[in-house]
This record gives sequence, structure tokens and C-alpha cells, in this order.
Amino acid sequence: MNPNTPLRLLLGPQRPVVNLGKAMTDAGIGGGRIAVISAAWQEAEGDIDDIRALVDNELYDLPLYRRAEALFEADKSLHEAYRNRQDQLIEQQNMYRLRLRQLTIAARVILRAEGNAAAIAEERRHAISQLRALDRHHLRQINRIYERFEDAFAVDRSGPLAEHVAAIQQDLDGTDTVLITGGNVVVLMNRLQLFGLGRLLSRMNIIGWSAGAMTLCDRIILFHDRMPQGRREPEVLCNGLGIVPGTVLLPNAKNRLRTRETVRSSLFSRRFAPATCLTLDNESVLLMQDGKVSDSESVRHIARDGTFARVKVV
Amino acid sequence: MTPALKKLLRKSAPSVSDVDAFVSENAFPLVDGTDVTFVYRGAAESVNLRCWISGLDTAQPFQALPGTDLWATTIELPKGSRIEYKFEVTHQGHKNLILDPLNKVIAHDPFGANSVCQGFGYERPEWAKHDPLSRVGALESRRFESRAFKEPRDIQVYLPATFRQNRRYPLLIVHDGDDYLRYADLKFVLDNLTHRLEIPSMIVALTQSPDRLKEYAGNDKHAQFLVDDLLPFMTAEYPLMDSVDSRCVMGASFGGVASLHAAWRYPEHFGSLLLQSGSFAFSDLGRHSRGPVFDPVVRFMNEFRKHPGRPADRVFMSCGVYESLIYENRSLVPHLQAKGVDLRFEEARDAHNWENWRDRLRIGLSWLMPGPAWLVYE
Repeated sequence: MNPNTPLRLLLGPQRPVVNLGKAMTDAGIGGGRIAVISAAWQEAEGDIDDIRALVDNELYDLPLYRRAEALFEADKSLHEAYRNRQDQLIEQQNMYRLRLRQLTIAARVILRAEGNAAAIAEERRHAISQLRALDRHHLRQINRIYERFEDAFAVDRSGPLAEHVAAIQQDLDGTDTVLITGGNVVVLMNRLQLFGLGRLLSRMNIIGWSAGAMTLCDRIILFHDRMPQGRREPEVLCNGLGIVPGTVLLPNAKNRLRTRETVRSSLFSRRFAPATCLTLDNESVLLMQDGKVSDSESVRHIARDGTFARVKVV
Repeated sequence: MTPALKKLLRKSAPSVSDVDAFVSENAFPLVDGTDVTFVYRGAAESVNLRCWISGLDTAQPFQALPGTDLWATTIELPKGSRIEYKFEVTHQGHKNLILDPLNKVIAHDPFGANSVCQGFGYERPEWAKHDPLSRVGALESRRFESRAFKEPRDIQVYLPATFRQNRRYPLLIVHDGDDYLRYADLKFVLDNLTHRLEIPSMIVALTQSPDRLKEYAGNDKHAQFLVDDLLPFMTAEYPLMDSVDSRCVMGASFGGVASLHAAWRYPEHFGSLLLQSGSFAFSDLGRHSRGPVFDPVVRFMNEFRKHPGRPADRVFMSCGVYESLIYENRSLVPHLQAKGVDLRFEEARDAHNWENWRDRLRIGLSWLMPGPAWLVYE
């Protein structure tokens, strides 16, 4: 593998069928040491024996969740600011959700409307552009909240945070591949962001499954059409690391999305365009290098008309 | 009359083989839209449908179908309904209460079993069935000394599949826990809903009273048992979250009364309640007519209705519309809402039975204790 063109191996949930080992072999990932980020498992972070049994490489735990806990313990002012930031993010997400619901309902009704084709097409465009504008506004607000925190606690300043960041960099020395597991995407993204790992990881080969893959996108989109209390509208959570640009990754789409509801899917696709919405189901493998897809047999993208179609391999 | 019966009776005297074919070719009871026809085959002087449905006569008489050994009766059952029933067959002067011999769908409860009529549109929820993909939690039996009852008490404790000693979990306390496991498939439900992230991984204390009609009937000793015996035991033995909103108590029928009573006697100990078909009998005037076993319940409920306090922040209630208790359950809603309780009340086209309570568990548990499905992408 050429270290100048790092490889992205993106997988779906590793249940019920585990395809991690085979996908790594097929992708030609060599036998070097691999750092495992399992912060998305929270307190179960580092419990990676199951993964060790699947791959021949030497794996080691890169603890971000535990490091964050230790950092919070050591730096009370940072912890306080972090909590405040999280409260602000939740408040912002709640306000966004309120507005989003109304706009999405309207957009779906208009997408289903029949009658004067030209007038309806115009209204559709406008309804979708309103949604996109709301998403952009929300992301701007979210970014401002993050920036305020980062201005106060920059990773390159001295202090406990900088010490942890230096220790993580040291842990990654001599490693060219990192594996990011699935799990709680908010917890994972917060830890990756807290330690400013985006730039560092972008130079490495990355294997990511589910939440681990989602964090690599430009934006993280939360979605679930089958919640017990009824469906929720897909929500922009925050920016991702931007390592897999131009894509929205949808783990376990088969179970989480109502894929036969084409109006709903069409709205999903058009709302997040020009990014390509790609499914990552159990057994899916998406291999990318230089931003190009080289293996995607098991991956579908949501077309503009709401159908799910095979991804064209470049 | 259903088309299948009409076809059979078109002949003036259907032969035995015609009746055999009719019986083997159809599923019973015969469901034709909202008309449900129950059929009994055999010698009898009379046959009655017994289904203990509030709103229907206690015993619906069957009619003998001329020229056959069949008996039938038809009732109207709204879409999505589910009822439990038995046949009361009188033969040679003897009355027998039996399961429907032509219907294999049976529901069990602590008193035995009933045949089940699944009306048009009813489906047993798939999340309540065994799912081989769901990771399986563990049940362990525990015994501890109860100061309230001055004797040791046995409970079962459910630990989620991903249980780890270094994590903290919410606590759910279940009245009639063994019955919920046996008759409402609670283990499958917990495994499935946890696996699907619809509820958080939680620790569940399943209690079973040796004398539920006494201990669950608004009994102070039982409330003391939950708060002074069970909670400290669970806190000492298991890694529990320590906030009030991470503790939920649930129960059905008298178990619903016990849950509400404990939360009322000890406010700010339980964040949420799940009350299924609670036996919330009360009397605004004069005496109640539900029998002496309800006396302490009525005393408690009358007191509660005067001074409801705020037993919990969130309450999920459910009740079948074919239960006589629907009136008492509905009337409890405004009392709780007036105190600012975040309340959700679900009515079901079902009666006072375990499968009704099973079928409402997903909506109730996931509303009171929402899981991380929205944020977790495994």
C-alpha cells in the first residue's frame, strides 16, 4: 500500500455476519500493527478480544474514551466547559428538530402532490432548498459552539489536553492503519474531535464500521425510520472528519430505513446532495482510495428518485 | 354467518365427511372481517361462549346447526381485537368449561389457560417472539432478608447481554416478575428491545409475592419492602445508576396498584411507572361492589384520588377496552396529569390478560426508558 494514498475500508454492522477479516484480506491490508479506536463502546472501550480473533494483525487499543474521562478528572475547567458545550449542542439540536419536523412534513406532502407539473416542480425545489438551508444554518450554529470551545481549549496548548494529544500521537507512531468500531456515534465523534484527531487519521489507512465509518464523512446524519415511538426525520448532527468526502454513510440501512418509501428516500437523497448517500448493511464492503470507489458490490446508493441502486465502481 | 359455514349448510343434511372436511379445512374461530364465529363439534345439550369481556354477555349461547353435530355462535369483534375465551359445554347434565378443541392458539396465566381469538387485523408482535439474532441476557436467582416482611424473599434478576460490572445501569422493578416471564414472554421482550437499542441495557428485579392479593393491595409493608429492602439490596449488589429517573416500577392488575402505591408512599424514589390494567377500584359514594379483596385497594385509591401528590415524573398506563377496569384507569389519568405528571395512556382492543400486557411492553418501556437506537450504529 502506498502511504501517500491511504486506503479507506468501510463496512456495515458486524452482526450477524462478521466480514471484517475477509474484507481486510481482500483489500490487501498487510500484517502491520493496527490501532483500534473503540470509544463508541463507552465503558466497554478496549474490549477488543473478539476483533483479535478475526484478524491476523497485531491489534492494540487506542483509548479515547478513558483518556477523555481522565482528562475531565484532571482539568475541571475543561470538563465544565465541555459540559456546557454539550448542553448548548443539545439545546441547538432540539430547536433544529422542531423546525425540521415541520419543513420535512411539508416537503414530503409537496413531493407527493399531483396537478400542475411546472408549479409543483417549483414548489418541490423550494421546499427542498428550505430544508437544505435549515441544515446549513444548523451546522453553522453547531460549528460556532464547537469553535468557542476549541478557542478556549486548543489541542496544541500546554496542559492536560495537550499531554493526552501528545500521548495519542506517540501511541500511533509506527502505525499506518487504524480501525474504528461502530457504536455510539456522538460519543465517538466527541472524542475524536476533543483530541483533534482528524488531521492525524487522514494520513493513515482507516478501517471503519458503522459509526466508525460515519465519522469519516463531511457531515454526520442521524437516521432511524423504525423507532418504537414513531419515525424521526433524519438530522444533521455535526461535521465529520471529512476524510471520506462527498458521501453520507448509512449503516444498517436495511433495518433502519423504510427503503420502499421512495418519496421519503428521494427527499433524503435530494436533501443531502451533492453528497452520495450510501448504504452500509451487514456484509457490505466499500473500499475507497484517492476518493475513488474500488469495491462496492454490496453497497447501494439512494438515487434522486428514491430508489436504491448499485454503486458504479470507478 | 361466515361463507364457510354457509357453504357447508347449503346441503340440507351435510354428511359426516362434509363436516370433517369443513373442520379440517378451516382455522377456528372463523374470522370474517369483524364477524367472528366460534364452532364446537360434539354431543351436548347446550354450549356457551365464556369470554369475560366487559360489554358482552358473560355467556353467549351457541346454536345447534341442523343436521350436524356442530354448534356455532357469532359475535362482532372490532379490527385488531384479541380476546381469550372458553366453551361451557353441558352434556348429560354436566357443565364443563373447556378450551376450544378446534383452536390451537392458547394463552396461559396463573389460573390455567384460555383459548385465544385473534380478531381480524391482530398480529402478535414480532419483537415479543424469540429472535435468534438477539443477544441473550441472564437471569439469576437471589435471596435477601426483608425487614418489612421479617422473612427472606426470593427474586430473579435480569442482567442484559452486554452486562459489565464497570458500567452503571437503570433499574426496572417488576411485580409478578415470574408471571411476566412465563406468560408475557418478558425475557424475549427485554432481550429483543435491548438488542434493538429501543430500551437501554438495564437491570431488572423480578419480584413475586407469596400473597399478592394482600401485599399488592395498597399495602404499606410492601411499599416498605421495595424501598427499604429491595432497593438497598439491588444498589449494594449491582452497578446501578443512582438517579431517581433511572428507576422504574411496573406491574399489571394488582401489581399496578402495588407500583402506584409504593411510588405514592415514597415519592422521589422512582422516576417512572408502568401501570398495566391497574386494579384501581375506588368508590366516590357508598360501597364498591368488587368483593372484600378490593377493600384495601379502594381505601388506598380513595385516599390517592384525594391527595395524589406526584408519585413519579413519568407514567405509562395501558388498559384493555374489554376490561371492566377501563373506567377506573381512564379516570386516573386526569388526577395524574393535574399534578404535572408526564403521562401516556394507551388503550388496546384486548382484555385483562398477560398477552395484552405483553403486547404493550414495547411502547411502554421504550417511552419511559428510551434506548440509544437513534445514536448507536453498531
